[in-house]
Amino acid sequence: MSAPNDDNASAHSQLSSHFFAGLLDSIIVDVASECHRIARLGLDRNLEEEEEELRLSAQARVRVADPSNSGEVNNKHVVDIFGQTHPAVANEIFECMNCGRSIMAGRFAPHLEKCMGKGRKARLKSTRSSKTPQNRYSRGSPVSTYYTYSNSASVNRIVNGTPGPTGEEYADGTFEET
Amino acid sequence: MRPSINRPPTPEAEEDQEKEPTLQEIINIKLIESGEKERLKELLRERLTECGWRDEMKALCRAFTRKKGRNNVTVDDLVHVITPKGRASVPDSVKAELLQRIRTFLVSAAL
Repeated sequence: MSAPNDDNASAHSQLSSHFFAGLLDSIIVDVASECHRIARLGLDRNLEEEEEELRLSAQARVRVADPSNSGEVNNKHVVDIFGQTHPAVANEIFECMNCGRSIMAGRFAPHLEKCMGKGRKARLKSTRSSKTPQNRYSRGSPVSTYYTYSNSASVNRIVNGTPGPTGEEYADGTFEET
Repeated sequence: MRPSINRPPTPEAEEDQEKEPTLQEIINIKLIESGEKERLKELLRERLTECGWRDEMKALCRAFTRKKGRNNVTVDDLVHVITPKGRASVPDSVKAELLQRIRTFLVSAAL
């Protein structure tokens, strides 16, 4: 019973292989034909590949050996891989959102430090400026009275030589008259 | 008028019927008529491109062309260059897949 099937199977295998070979040969001819076309029409730019490689590597070597190029500083600025140069400090100008001044982009960070009170100096500046009005009011009178007091005293001594109550002759009548 | 007398006799129509088409020929005709042959060829082409076989063959052709000179190559040359390597370097999985499909067709065509 299995014999005919075996025959069938082997016949099938043989036929399958035969047709597979036929398909493969057909595709081989297609590839050969395409390559022939490319060769004849000169569409393969790098056909002389070794020559091309040698030429390109020689060019690259020259460029690397040349000291005034790429990563190194060229004239004044560094040249990047696209051949662009950028100034050392970004020079676009815009408005600071905190104080409203026109600031250069490259100087923006230090400006913000001062502007928003991150640094020591900035903080002192803000505390001084905010507390000074209060000082004037709280200590203002004693200071001024002290001043007038000492002024009148010294004036009296200088003019009269006696520490007597002669303050009445003077305009600032803060001196006590006994 | 005379040269026409030397013409060999036209073969009889019955003579063609004596030649039985071989099994292979029958299958071939069935493959083509059903469109399966084209599908199989496309499948094989796709598989061979995917696995880099096609690029290998093209590289062989380019190497040969470089040696022989662009304008001296013929299609025949290139076919001879790539046939041995080409037949030998088909991946087993690709071959198995195609064989399986062909066998399925043979069974379904009740041959």
